[in-house]
Amino acid sequence: MIEAKALSKRYGKTLAVDDLSFSVEAGQVTGFLGPNGSGKSTTMRMIVGLDSPTSGTVSVGGHAYSSLRFPLHEVGALLDANAAHPGRRARNHLNWLADSNKIPRTRIDEVLTIVGLTEAAHRRVGELSLGMGQRLGIAAALLGDPGVLILDEPINGLDPEGILWVRHLLRSLAAEGRTVLVSSHLMTEMALTADHLIIIGRGRLLSSGPMADFIEKSAGHHVKVVTPDADALVVLLRDKGATVTVEGPQELSVQGLESRDVGVLSSGAGLTLYELSTQRASLEDAFMQLTHEHAEYQGTTRGPEASRS
Amino acid sequence: MTTQLVLPQTALPNTNERLPGVFLAACRSEWTKLRTVRSTMWALVFTVISIIGLGVLLSAIVVGHWDHRSLSEITGFDPLLYSFAGLNVAQLSVGVLGVLVMTSEYATGVIRLTFGATPQRRLLLGAKVLTFSIVVAIVSLISCVTVFFICQAMLASKPAGVSITDPGVLRAVLGGATKMVLIGVIAVGVGAIVRHTAGAVAVLFAVLLIIPGLVQLLPQPWNNDVTLYLPSSAGAAMSAVVRFPNLLAPGPGFLVLLAYAAATIGLAMALLVRRDA
Repeated sequence: MIEAKALSKRYGKTLAVDDLSFSVEAGQVTGFLGPNGSGKSTTMRMIVGLDSPTSGTVSVGGHAYSSLRFPLHEVGALLDANAAHPGRRARNHLNWLADSNKIPRTRIDEVLTIVGLTEAAHRRVGELSLGMGQRLGIAAALLGDPGVLILDEPINGLDPEGILWVRHLLRSLAAEGRTVLVSSHLMTEMALTADHLIIIGRGRLLSSGPMADFIEKSAGHHVKVVTPDADALVVLLRDKGATVTVEGPQELSVQGLESRDVGVLSSGAGLTLYELSTQRASLEDAFMQLTHEHAEYQGTTRGPEASRS
Repeated sequence: MTTQLVLPQTALPNTNERLPGVFLAACRSEWTKLRTVRSTMWALVFTVISIIGLGVLLSAIVVGHWDHRSLSEITGFDPLLYSFAGLNVAQLSVGVLGVLVMTSEYATGVIRLTFGATPQRRLLLGAKVLTFSIVVAIVSLISCVTVFFICQAMLASKPAGVSITDPGVLRAVLGGATKMVLIGVIAVGVGAIVRHTAGAVAVLFAVLLIIPGLVQLLPQPWNNDVTLYLPSSAGAAMSAVVRFPNLLAPGPGFLVLLAYAAATIGLAMALLVRRDA
Protein backbone atom coordinates (compact mmCIF):
# COMPACT_ATOMS: atom_id res chain seq x y z
CA MET A 1 0.00 0.00 0.00
CA ILE A 2 1.19 3.48 -0.89
CA GLU A 3 0.03 6.52 1.04
CA ALA A 4 0.70 10.16 0.17
CA LYS A 5 -0.19 12.90 2.63
CA ALA A 6 -0.23 16.56 1.58
CA LEU A 7 2.64 15.89 -0.79
CA SER A 8 4.14 18.96 -2.49
CA LYS A 9 7.17 19.50 -4.69
CA ARG A 10 8.44 22.86 -5.84
CA TYR A 11 11.07 23.35 -8.55
CA GLY A 12 12.05 27.00 -8.49
CA LYS A 13 8.84 28.90 -9.24
CA THR A 14 6.87 25.88 -10.45
CA LEU A 15 4.76 23.88 -8.06
CA ALA A 16 4.99 20.48 -9.76
CA VAL A 17 2.99 18.65 -7.09
CA ASP A 18 0.55 20.59 -4.96
CA ASP A 19 -0.85 19.23 -1.69
CA LEU A 20 -1.49 15.78 -3.10
CA SER A 21 -3.04 13.12 -0.86
CA PHE A 22 -4.07 9.67 -2.01
CA SER A 23 -3.73 6.03 -1.12
CA VAL A 24 -3.07 3.06 -3.38
CA GLU A 25 -4.57 -0.16 -2.08
CA ALA A 26 -3.34 -3.71 -2.46
CA GLY A 27 -5.10 -6.28 -4.61
CA GLN A 28 -6.11 -3.99 -7.44
CA VAL A 29 -4.55 -2.14 -10.34
CA THR A 30 -4.56 1.59 -9.72
CA GLY A 31 -4.27 3.77 -12.80
CA PHE A 32 -2.42 7.04 -12.39
CA LEU A 33 -3.65 9.54 -14.98
CA GLY A 34 -3.02 13.13 -15.83
CA PRO A 35 -2.11 15.31 -18.79
CA ASN A 36 1.55 15.79 -19.70
CA GLY A 37 3.39 17.78 -17.07
CA SER A 38 0.74 17.17 -14.44
CA GLY A 39 3.26 15.81 -11.93
CA LYS A 40 2.83 12.03 -12.36
CA SER A 41 6.51 11.25 -12.80
CA THR A 42 7.56 13.65 -10.04
CA THR A 43 5.09 11.96 -7.69
CA MET A 44 6.42 8.53 -8.62
CA ARG A 45 10.01 9.67 -8.05
CA MET A 46 9.03 10.94 -4.60
CA ILE A 47 7.39 7.60 -3.76
CA VAL A 48 10.68 5.79 -4.36
CA GLY A 49 12.78 8.39 -2.56
CA LEU A 50 14.64 9.79 -5.58
CA ASP A 51 13.24 13.30 -5.13
CA SER A 52 12.50 14.60 -1.66
CA PRO A 53 9.16 16.38 -1.15
CA THR A 54 9.19 20.10 -0.42
CA SER A 55 6.50 19.29 2.15
CA GLY A 56 4.27 16.36 3.02
CA THR A 57 5.12 12.68 3.23
CA VAL A 58 4.72 9.52 1.21
CA SER A 59 5.13 5.99 2.53
CA VAL A 60 5.24 2.53 1.02
CA GLY A 61 3.90 -0.23 3.27
CA GLY A 62 4.02 2.20 6.17
CA HIS A 63 7.68 3.17 5.73
CA ALA A 64 9.46 5.98 3.94
CA TYR A 65 11.18 4.36 0.96
CA SER A 66 14.58 5.78 1.87
CA SER A 67 14.45 4.04 5.25
CA LEU A 68 14.16 0.59 3.64
CA ARG A 69 17.08 -1.84 3.58
CA PHE A 70 17.12 -3.90 0.38
CA PRO A 71 13.96 -2.15 -0.90
CA LEU A 72 13.73 -4.23 -4.10
CA HIS A 73 12.11 -7.00 -2.04
CA GLU A 74 9.24 -4.66 -1.17
CA VAL A 75 8.96 -2.23 -4.08
CA GLY A 76 9.64 -2.75 -7.76
CA ALA A 77 9.72 0.38 -9.89
CA LEU A 78 9.94 1.06 -13.60
CA LEU A 79 10.43 4.80 -13.95
CA ASP A 80 12.50 4.98 -17.13
CA ALA A 81 12.99 1.90 -19.29
CA ASN A 82 16.05 3.49 -20.91
CA ALA A 83 17.86 3.59 -17.58
CA ALA A 84 20.50 0.97 -18.36
CA HIS A 85 24.11 1.17 -19.53
CA PRO A 86 24.00 0.49 -23.31
CA GLY A 87 27.30 -1.40 -23.24
CA ARG A 88 26.27 -3.83 -20.52
CA ARG A 89 24.65 -7.15 -21.34
CA ALA A 90 20.99 -7.50 -20.35
CA ARG A 91 21.70 -10.30 -17.87
CA ASN A 92 24.51 -8.32 -16.23
CA HIS A 93 22.15 -5.38 -15.84
CA LEU A 94 19.93 -7.64 -13.74
CA ASN A 95 22.98 -9.19 -12.02
CA TRP A 96 24.19 -5.96 -10.43
CA LEU A 97 20.67 -5.08 -9.32
CA ALA A 98 20.26 -8.54 -7.78
CA ASP A 99 23.64 -8.29 -6.03
CA SER A 100 22.75 -4.94 -4.46
CA ASN A 101 19.78 -6.48 -2.63
CA LYS A 102 21.14 -10.02 -2.09
CA ILE A 103 18.67 -11.49 -4.54
CA PRO A 104 19.83 -14.96 -5.61
CA ARG A 105 21.08 -15.18 -9.20
CA THR A 106 18.58 -18.00 -9.87
CA ARG A 107 15.85 -15.37 -9.68
CA ILE A 108 17.28 -13.72 -12.80
CA ASP A 109 16.41 -16.71 -14.96
CA GLU A 110 12.90 -16.61 -13.52
CA VAL A 111 12.27 -12.95 -14.37
CA LEU A 112 13.88 -13.35 -17.81
CA THR A 113 11.39 -16.15 -18.47
CA ILE A 114 8.48 -14.06 -17.20
CA VAL A 115 9.27 -11.16 -19.54
CA GLY A 116 10.33 -13.39 -22.42
CA LEU A 117 13.92 -12.16 -22.70
CA THR A 118 15.75 -15.44 -22.05
CA GLU A 119 17.00 -15.61 -25.63
CA ALA A 120 18.15 -11.98 -25.65
CA ALA A 121 19.79 -11.98 -22.20
CA HIS A 122 23.32 -12.12 -23.63
CA ARG A 123 22.78 -9.06 -25.84
CA ARG A 124 24.03 -5.62 -24.90
CA VAL A 125 21.31 -3.27 -23.71
CA GLY A 126 22.09 -0.87 -26.57
CA GLU A 127 21.28 -3.60 -29.08
CA LEU A 128 17.80 -4.29 -27.69
CA SER A 129 14.68 -3.00 -29.42
CA LEU A 130 12.45 -0.45 -27.70
CA GLY A 131 10.02 -3.17 -26.65
CA MET A 132 12.79 -5.45 -25.38
CA GLY A 133 14.22 -2.56 -23.35
CA GLN A 134 10.78 -2.09 -21.82
CA ARG A 135 10.61 -5.78 -20.96
CA LEU A 136 14.06 -5.56 -19.34
CA GLY A 137 12.79 -2.64 -17.23
CA ILE A 138 9.79 -4.72 -16.16
CA ALA A 139 12.12 -7.63 -15.35
CA ALA A 140 14.15 -5.31 -13.12
CA ALA A 141 10.98 -4.21 -11.32
CA LEU A 142 9.94 -7.84 -10.71
CA LEU A 143 13.43 -8.93 -9.58
CA GLY A 144 12.84 -8.80 -5.82
CA ASP A 145 9.35 -10.35 -6.08
CA PRO A 146 7.97 -7.15 -4.50
CA GLY A 147 4.56 -6.61 -2.97
CA VAL A 148 4.35 -3.13 -4.46
CA LEU A 149 4.87 -2.27 -8.13
CA ILE A 150 5.19 1.25 -9.51
CA LEU A 151 5.29 1.46 -13.29
CA ASP A 152 5.55 4.68 -15.28
CA GLU A 153 4.30 4.16 -18.86
CA PRO A 154 5.11 0.42 -18.95
CA ILE A 155 3.62 -0.19 -22.39
CA ASN A 156 5.59 2.47 -24.26
CA GLY A 157 7.14 0.89 -27.33
CA LEU A 158 5.42 -2.47 -26.94
CA ASP A 159 3.66 -4.19 -29.83
CA PRO A 160 -0.02 -5.23 -29.47
CA GLU A 161 1.00 -8.62 -28.15
CA GLY A 162 3.29 -6.97 -25.60
CA ILE A 163 0.52 -4.60 -24.51
CA LEU A 164 -1.81 -7.55 -23.98
CA TRP A 165 0.92 -9.31 -22.02
CA VAL A 166 1.47 -6.31 -19.72
CA ARG A 167 -2.30 -6.08 -19.15
CA HIS A 168 -2.46 -9.73 -18.08
CA LEU A 169 0.71 -9.40 -16.01
CA LEU A 170 -0.56 -6.38 -14.07
CA ARG A 171 -3.97 -7.95 -13.50
CA SER A 172 -2.42 -11.20 -12.26
CA LEU A 173 0.01 -9.31 -9.98
CA ALA A 174 -2.95 -7.47 -8.45
CA ALA A 175 -4.91 -10.73 -8.18
CA GLU A 176 -2.02 -12.14 -6.12
CA GLY A 177 -2.71 -9.36 -3.62
CA ARG A 178 0.05 -6.98 -4.71
CA THR A 179 -0.26 -3.21 -4.90
CA VAL A 180 0.05 -2.02 -8.51
CA LEU A 181 0.32 1.65 -9.47
CA VAL A 182 0.59 2.25 -13.21
CA SER A 183 0.58 5.39 -15.31
CA SER A 184 -0.23 5.53 -18.99
CA HIS A 185 -1.30 7.99 -21.64
CA LEU A 186 -3.30 5.32 -23.45
CA MET A 187 -6.84 5.64 -22.10
CA THR A 188 -8.26 2.63 -23.89
CA GLU A 189 -5.54 0.43 -22.39
CA MET A 190 -5.98 1.94 -18.95
CA ALA A 191 -9.74 1.30 -19.18
CA LEU A 192 -9.00 -2.40 -19.69
CA THR A 193 -6.30 -2.68 -17.02
CA ALA A 194 -7.16 -0.51 -14.03
CA ASP A 195 -9.76 -1.05 -11.32
CA HIS A 196 -9.15 2.20 -9.54
CA LEU A 197 -8.09 5.62 -10.77
CA ILE A 198 -6.10 8.51 -9.37
CA ILE A 199 -6.28 11.51 -11.67
CA ILE A 200 -4.15 14.60 -11.21
CA GLY A 201 -3.84 17.88 -13.10
CA ARG A 202 -1.31 20.65 -12.47
CA GLY A 203 -0.05 18.65 -9.51
CA ARG A 204 -3.44 18.55 -7.77
CA LEU A 205 -5.77 15.64 -7.16
CA LEU A 206 -8.75 15.85 -9.53
CA SER A 207 -10.39 12.52 -8.81
CA SER A 208 -9.76 9.29 -6.96
CA GLY A 209 -12.06 6.28 -6.93
CA PRO A 210 -13.21 3.16 -8.73
CA MET A 211 -13.01 3.35 -12.52
CA ALA A 212 -16.74 2.65 -13.10
CA ASP A 213 -17.83 5.33 -10.63
CA PHE A 214 -15.53 7.84 -12.24
CA ILE A 215 -16.87 7.27 -15.73
CA GLU A 216 -20.48 7.35 -14.58
CA LYS A 217 -19.98 10.48 -12.50
CA SER A 218 -18.01 12.41 -15.10
CA ALA A 219 -19.73 11.50 -18.33
CA GLY A 220 -22.77 9.35 -17.46
CA HIS A 221 -24.48 7.19 -20.05
CA HIS A 222 -27.32 7.42 -22.55
CA VAL A 223 -29.69 5.08 -24.37
CA LYS A 224 -29.39 4.74 -28.12
CA VAL A 225 -32.68 4.08 -29.94
CA VAL A 226 -33.11 3.34 -33.64
CA THR A 227 -36.77 3.39 -34.73
CA PRO A 228 -38.83 4.18 -37.86
CA ASP A 229 -41.31 5.98 -35.55
CA ALA A 230 -38.87 8.52 -34.19
CA ASP A 231 -41.21 11.50 -34.11
CA ALA A 232 -43.88 9.70 -32.09
CA LEU A 233 -41.33 8.25 -29.67
CA VAL A 234 -39.70 11.64 -29.03
CA VAL A 235 -43.04 13.00 -27.83
CA LEU A 236 -43.62 10.01 -25.54
CA LEU A 237 -40.11 10.17 -24.07
CA ARG A 238 -40.23 13.91 -23.43
CA ASP A 239 -43.58 13.45 -21.64
CA LYS A 240 -41.77 11.07 -19.27
CA GLY A 241 -39.17 13.75 -18.57
CA ALA A 242 -36.31 12.33 -20.61
CA THR A 243 -33.82 14.49 -22.46
CA VAL A 244 -33.88 13.41 -26.11
CA THR A 245 -31.42 14.37 -28.78
CA VAL A 246 -32.27 13.56 -32.40
CA GLU A 247 -29.11 12.04 -33.85
CA GLY A 248 -30.53 11.17 -37.28
CA PRO A 249 -33.84 10.53 -39.12
CA GLN A 250 -34.29 7.26 -37.19
CA GLU A 251 -31.83 7.58 -34.34
CA LEU A 252 -32.35 9.09 -30.90
CA SER A 253 -30.11 9.56 -27.90
CA VAL A 254 -32.00 9.42 -24.60
CA GLN A 255 -30.82 10.59 -21.20
CA GLY A 256 -32.82 10.33 -17.98
CA LEU A 257 -34.44 6.98 -18.75
CA GLU A 258 -32.96 3.48 -18.77
CA SER A 259 -33.21 1.27 -21.86
CA ARG A 260 -35.73 -0.93 -20.04
CA ASP A 261 -38.09 2.07 -19.59
CA VAL A 262 -37.73 3.04 -23.26
CA GLY A 263 -38.58 -0.50 -24.35
CA VAL A 264 -41.68 -0.72 -22.12
CA LEU A 265 -42.84 2.69 -23.29
CA SER A 266 -42.50 1.98 -27.01
CA SER A 267 -44.10 -1.45 -26.89
CA GLY A 268 -47.04 0.03 -24.94
CA ALA A 269 -47.51 2.55 -27.77
CA GLY A 270 -47.04 -0.12 -30.45
CA LEU A 271 -43.90 1.52 -31.83
CA THR A 272 -41.28 -0.57 -33.64
CA LEU A 273 -37.66 -0.54 -32.42
CA TYR A 274 -34.73 -1.67 -34.57
CA GLU A 275 -32.11 -1.07 -31.88
CA LEU A 276 -32.13 -0.28 -28.18
CA SER A 277 -28.88 -0.13 -26.24
CA THR A 278 -27.21 1.55 -23.29
CA GLN A 279 -24.14 3.57 -24.34
CA ARG A 280 -21.56 4.08 -21.64
CA ALA A 281 -19.00 6.83 -21.99
CA SER A 282 -15.41 5.75 -22.54
CA LEU A 283 -12.70 6.50 -20.02
CA GLU A 284 -11.29 8.91 -22.57
CA ASP A 285 -14.60 10.85 -22.69
CA ALA A 286 -14.77 10.96 -18.92
CA PHE A 287 -11.14 12.04 -18.64
CA MET A 288 -11.65 14.86 -21.14
CA GLN A 289 -14.82 15.96 -19.31
CA LEU A 290 -12.98 16.07 -16.01
CA THR A 291 -9.93 17.95 -17.22
CA HIS A 292 -12.16 20.49 -19.00
CA GLU A 293 -14.16 21.09 -15.87
CA HIS A 294 -11.01 22.44 -14.31
CA ALA A 295 -10.61 25.98 -15.41
CA GLU A 296 -6.84 25.92 -15.61
CA TYR A 297 -6.96 23.63 -18.62
CA GLN A 298 -9.43 25.55 -20.73
CA GLY A 299 -6.94 28.08 -21.97
CA THR A 300 -4.39 25.43 -22.85
CA THR A 301 -6.57 23.02 -24.80
CA ARG A 302 -6.72 23.06 -28.57
CA GLY A 303 -8.45 20.93 -31.15
CA PRO A 304 -11.85 19.28 -31.52
CA GLU A 305 -12.14 18.16 -27.89
CA ALA A 306 -12.32 21.77 -26.78
CA SER A 307 -15.74 22.29 -28.37
CA ARG A 308 -17.30 19.24 -26.77
CA SER A 309 -17.70 20.60 -23.26
CA MET B 1 6.84 -14.38 -26.26
CA THR B 2 5.73 -15.95 -23.04
CA THR B 3 2.31 -15.39 -21.56
CA GLN B 4 3.18 -16.84 -18.17
CA LEU B 5 1.12 -15.08 -15.56
CA VAL B 6 1.97 -16.40 -12.12
CA LEU B 7 5.30 -15.35 -10.70
CA PRO B 8 7.42 -18.17 -9.32
CA GLN B 9 8.11 -17.56 -5.66
CA THR B 10 11.73 -17.50 -4.61
CA ALA B 11 13.07 -17.61 -1.07
CA LEU B 12 14.42 -14.15 -0.41
CA PRO B 13 16.25 -12.59 2.54
CA ASN B 14 14.31 -10.23 4.77
CA THR B 15 14.48 -6.49 4.38
CA ASN B 16 15.72 -5.75 7.89
CA GLU B 17 19.34 -6.22 6.85
CA ARG B 18 21.91 -4.39 8.98
CA LEU B 19 23.96 -1.62 7.41
CA PRO B 20 27.21 -3.65 7.12
CA GLY B 21 25.24 -6.21 5.11
CA VAL B 22 23.82 -3.43 2.92
CA PHE B 23 27.36 -2.08 2.42
CA LEU B 24 28.80 -5.47 1.42
CA ALA B 25 25.95 -6.09 -1.01
CA ALA B 26 26.51 -2.62 -2.51
CA CYS B 27 30.25 -3.39 -2.90
CA ARG B 28 29.45 -6.65 -4.66
CA SER B 29 26.98 -4.86 -6.91
CA GLU B 30 29.53 -2.16 -7.75
CA TRP B 31 32.11 -4.82 -8.61
CA THR B 32 29.59 -6.45 -10.95
CA LYS B 33 28.95 -3.04 -12.56
CA LEU B 34 32.66 -2.32 -12.98
CA ARG B 35 33.55 -5.59 -14.64
CA THR B 36 30.56 -5.68 -17.01
CA VAL B 37 31.33 -2.56 -19.04
CA ARG B 38 34.14 -2.45 -21.56
CA SER B 39 35.45 1.00 -20.59
CA THR B 40 36.80 -0.43 -17.32
CA MET B 41 38.98 -2.98 -19.04
CA TRP B 42 40.30 -0.51 -21.62
CA ALA B 43 41.12 2.15 -19.03
CA LEU B 44 42.95 -0.38 -16.87
CA VAL B 45 44.89 -1.81 -19.84
CA PHE B 46 45.88 1.74 -20.78
CA THR B 47 46.94 2.36 -17.18
CA VAL B 48 49.19 -0.71 -17.09
CA ILE B 49 50.71 0.08 -20.48
CA SER B 50 51.46 3.70 -19.54
CA ILE B 51 53.07 2.82 -16.22
CA ILE B 52 55.24 -0.01 -17.53
CA GLY B 53 55.78 1.22 -21.10
CA LEU B 54 56.76 4.81 -20.33
CA GLY B 55 58.97 3.75 -17.41
CA VAL B 56 60.87 1.27 -19.55
CA LEU B 57 61.14 3.70 -22.48
CA LEU B 58 62.52 6.58 -20.41
CA SER B 59 64.87 4.32 -18.46
CA ALA B 60 66.25 3.03 -21.77
CA ILE B 61 66.94 6.62 -22.87
CA VAL B 62 68.63 7.42 -19.56
CA VAL B 63 70.84 4.34 -19.84
CA GLY B 64 71.78 5.30 -23.39
CA HIS B 65 72.81 8.82 -22.41
CA TRP B 66 74.33 8.06 -19.02
CA ASP B 67 77.93 8.75 -20.10
CA HIS B 68 77.05 12.31 -21.20
CA ARG B 69 75.65 13.27 -17.78
CA SER B 70 77.31 15.82 -15.53
CA LEU B 71 78.33 14.95 -12.00
CA SER B 72 75.55 17.07 -10.49
CA GLU B 73 72.97 15.32 -12.61
CA ILE B 74 74.29 11.99 -11.46
CA THR B 75 74.41 12.85 -7.76
CA GLY B 76 70.89 14.37 -7.84
CA PHE B 77 69.48 11.44 -9.81
CA ASP B 78 66.29 9.91 -8.42
CA PRO B 79 66.48 6.29 -9.50
CA LEU B 80 62.68 6.05 -9.53
CA LEU B 81 61.95 9.33 -11.34
CA TYR B 82 62.20 7.74 -14.78
CA SER B 83 60.84 4.35 -13.76
CA PHE B 84 57.69 6.01 -12.49
CA ALA B 85 57.33 8.64 -15.22
CA GLY B 86 54.31 6.71 -16.53
CA LEU B 87 52.36 7.45 -13.35
CA ASN B 88 51.78 10.98 -14.63
CA VAL B 89 49.91 9.61 -17.64
CA ALA B 90 48.31 6.71 -15.78
CA GLN B 91 46.76 9.09 -13.25
CA LEU B 92 44.73 10.53 -16.12
CA SER B 93 43.27 7.18 -17.23
CA VAL B 94 42.57 6.19 -13.63
CA GLY B 95 41.03 9.64 -13.15
CA VAL B 96 38.75 9.30 -16.17
CA LEU B 97 37.65 5.84 -15.06
CA GLY B 98 36.96 7.15 -11.56
CA VAL B 99 34.87 10.00 -12.96
CA LEU B 100 32.92 7.51 -15.11
CA VAL B 101 32.07 5.39 -12.04
CA MET B 102 29.63 8.18 -11.16
CA THR B 103 28.94 10.17 -14.31
CA SER B 104 28.12 7.20 -16.58
CA GLU B 105 25.27 6.44 -14.19
CA TYR B 106 23.95 9.98 -14.46
CA ALA B 107 24.32 9.95 -18.26
CA THR B 108 22.40 6.68 -18.68
CA GLY B 109 19.84 7.20 -15.90
CA VAL B 110 21.17 4.15 -14.04
CA ILE B 111 21.74 6.33 -10.96
CA ARG B 112 17.99 6.18 -10.30
CA LEU B 113 18.08 2.39 -10.25
CA THR B 114 21.17 2.51 -8.05
CA PHE B 115 19.57 4.83 -5.50
CA GLY B 116 16.35 2.84 -5.77
CA ALA B 117 18.22 -0.35 -4.89
CA THR B 118 20.37 1.29 -2.18
CA PRO B 119 18.66 4.41 -0.80
CA GLN B 120 21.50 4.84 1.75
CA ARG B 121 23.37 7.20 -0.57
CA ARG B 122 26.44 7.95 1.58
CA LEU B 123 26.94 4.27 2.18
CA LEU B 124 26.53 3.65 -1.53
CA LEU B 125 29.22 6.19 -2.42
CA GLY B 126 31.44 4.56 0.19
CA ALA B 127 30.91 1.20 -1.53
CA LYS B 128 31.76 2.69 -4.92
CA VAL B 129 34.94 4.29 -3.53
CA LEU B 130 36.09 1.13 -1.76
CA THR B 131 35.42 -1.16 -4.72
CA PHE B 132 37.11 1.14 -7.21
CA SER B 133 40.05 1.70 -4.81
CA ILE B 134 40.69 -2.03 -4.50
CA VAL B 135 40.69 -2.47 -8.28
CA VAL B 136 43.03 0.49 -8.78
CA ALA B 137 45.27 -0.64 -5.91
CA ILE B 138 45.73 -4.11 -7.39
CA VAL B 139 46.38 -2.86 -10.93
CA SER B 140 48.71 -0.04 -9.80
CA LEU B 141 50.67 -2.17 -7.37
CA ILE B 142 51.31 -4.88 -9.94
CA SER B 143 52.32 -2.25 -12.53
CA CYS B 144 54.56 -0.31 -10.13
CA VAL B 145 56.36 -3.39 -8.84
CA THR B 146 56.81 -4.72 -12.37
CA VAL B 147 58.15 -1.46 -13.81
CA PHE B 148 60.41 -1.04 -10.78
CA PHE B 149 62.17 -4.37 -11.28
CA ILE B 150 62.47 -4.04 -15.06
CA CYS B 151 63.87 -0.49 -14.90
CA GLN B 152 66.24 -1.14 -12.04
CA ALA B 153 67.60 -4.15 -13.89
CA MET B 154 68.24 -1.84 -16.88
CA LEU B 155 69.87 0.88 -14.71
CA ALA B 156 72.01 -1.64 -12.84
CA SER B 157 74.44 -1.70 -15.77
CA LYS B 158 75.23 1.93 -14.83
CA PRO B 159 75.86 2.91 -11.20
CA ALA B 160 72.27 4.15 -10.91
CA GLY B 161 70.08 1.21 -9.96
CA VAL B 162 68.67 0.72 -6.47
CA SER B 163 67.45 -2.34 -4.65
CA ILE B 164 63.97 -2.70 -3.19
CA THR B 165 65.70 -3.09 0.19
CA ASP B 166 67.48 0.29 -0.04
CA PRO B 167 66.19 3.02 2.29
CA GLY B 168 62.97 4.62 1.09
CA VAL B 169 62.65 2.50 -2.05
CA LEU B 170 59.91 0.12 -0.99
CA ARG B 171 58.03 3.09 0.49
CA ALA B 172 58.30 4.93 -2.83
CA VAL B 173 56.99 1.93 -4.81
CA LEU B 174 54.02 1.57 -2.46
CA GLY B 175 53.64 5.36 -2.51
CA GLY B 176 53.33 5.34 -6.31
CA ALA B 177 50.50 2.81 -6.17
CA THR B 178 48.81 4.62 -3.27
CA LYS B 179 48.94 7.89 -5.20
CA MET B 180 47.00 6.26 -8.03
CA VAL B 181 44.34 5.03 -5.57
CA LEU B 182 43.92 8.49 -4.00
CA ILE B 183 43.72 10.21 -7.40
CA GLY B 184 41.05 7.63 -8.34
CA VAL B 185 39.10 8.38 -5.15
CA ILE B 186 39.27 12.12 -5.84
CA ALA B 187 38.01 11.42 -9.37
CA VAL B 188 34.99 9.44 -8.09
CA GLY B 189 34.18 12.33 -5.76
CA VAL B 190 34.53 14.93 -8.53
CA GLY B 191 32.25 12.77 -10.72
CA ALA B 192 29.62 12.67 -7.95
CA ILE B 193 29.85 16.43 -7.42
CA VAL B 194 29.81 17.51 -11.10
CA ARG B 195 27.61 14.63 -12.45
CA HIS B 196 28.55 15.28 -16.11
CA THR B 197 31.44 13.37 -17.68
CA ALA B 198 32.95 16.21 -19.70
CA GLY B 199 32.67 18.72 -16.87
CA ALA B 200 34.09 16.35 -14.27
CA VAL B 201 37.02 15.32 -16.50
CA ALA B 202 37.74 19.00 -17.17
CA VAL B 203 37.77 19.79 -13.44
CA LEU B 204 40.02 16.85 -12.68
CA PHE B 205 42.50 17.61 -15.46
CA ALA B 206 42.55 21.28 -14.47
CA VAL B 207 43.48 20.30 -10.91
CA LEU B 208 46.17 17.84 -11.99
CA LEU B 209 47.64 19.58 -15.06
CA ILE B 210 46.66 23.23 -15.42
CA ILE B 211 46.56 24.64 -11.89
CA PRO B 212 50.18 23.63 -11.14
CA GLY B 213 51.29 25.76 -14.12
CA LEU B 214 49.15 28.71 -13.09
CA VAL B 215 50.44 28.58 -9.51
CA GLN B 216 53.97 28.98 -10.85
CA LEU B 217 52.94 32.42 -12.12
CA LEU B 218 52.32 33.64 -8.56
CA PRO B 219 55.03 35.92 -7.11
CA GLN B 220 57.90 34.43 -5.14
CA PRO B 221 57.80 32.72 -2.68
CA TRP B 222 54.06 32.06 -2.89
CA ASN B 223 54.40 30.04 -6.07
CA ASN B 224 56.68 27.46 -4.46
CA ASP B 225 54.89 27.45 -1.12
CA VAL B 226 51.50 26.81 -2.72
CA THR B 227 52.91 24.26 -5.15
CA LEU B 228 54.07 22.11 -2.24
CA TYR B 229 50.46 21.54 -1.22
CA LEU B 230 48.88 20.92 -4.62
CA PRO B 231 47.50 17.41 -5.18
CA SER B 232 49.90 16.82 -8.07
CA SER B 233 52.96 17.77 -5.99
CA ALA B 234 51.75 15.87 -2.94
CA GLY B 235 51.33 12.82 -5.17
CA ALA B 236 54.77 13.24 -6.73
CA ALA B 237 56.34 13.44 -3.26
CA MET B 238 54.91 10.01 -2.42
CA SER B 239 56.84 8.17 -5.12
CA ALA B 240 60.18 10.00 -4.82
CA VAL B 241 63.25 8.46 -3.18
CA VAL B 242 65.47 11.53 -3.34
CA ARG B 243 64.04 14.52 -1.47
CA PHE B 244 63.39 17.34 -3.98
CA PRO B 245 63.37 20.93 -2.66
CA ASN B 246 60.02 21.68 -4.37
CA LEU B 247 58.25 18.66 -2.85
CA LEU B 248 57.09 17.69 0.61
CA ALA B 249 58.53 14.62 2.31
CA PRO B 250 56.67 11.40 1.36
CA GLY B 251 54.72 11.15 4.63
CA PRO B 252 53.33 14.70 4.60
CA GLY B 253 52.71 14.35 0.86
CA PHE B 254 50.54 11.29 1.54
CA LEU B 255 48.63 13.13 4.27
CA VAL B 256 47.98 16.12 2.00
CA LEU B 257 46.65 13.95 -0.83
CA LEU B 258 44.60 11.92 1.65
CA ALA B 259 43.08 15.16 2.95
CA TYR B 260 42.12 16.19 -0.60
CA ALA B 261 40.47 12.78 -1.16
CA ALA B 262 38.59 12.93 2.16
CA ALA B 263 37.39 16.48 1.52
CA THR B 264 36.19 15.62 -2.01
CA ILE B 265 34.29 12.53 -0.84
CA GLY B 266 32.86 14.43 2.12
CA LEU B 267 31.49 17.14 -0.15
CA ALA B 268 30.19 14.54 -2.61
CA MET B 269 28.34 12.69 0.18
CA ALA B 270 26.76 15.91 1.46
CA LEU B 271 25.56 16.80 -2.05
CA LEU B 272 24.31 13.28 -2.89
CA VAL B 273 22.01 13.29 0.13
CA ARG B 274 20.70 16.79 -0.53
CA ARG B 275 20.14 16.68 -4.27
CA ASP B 276 17.28 14.99 -6.13
CA ALA B 277 18.42 12.14 -8.35
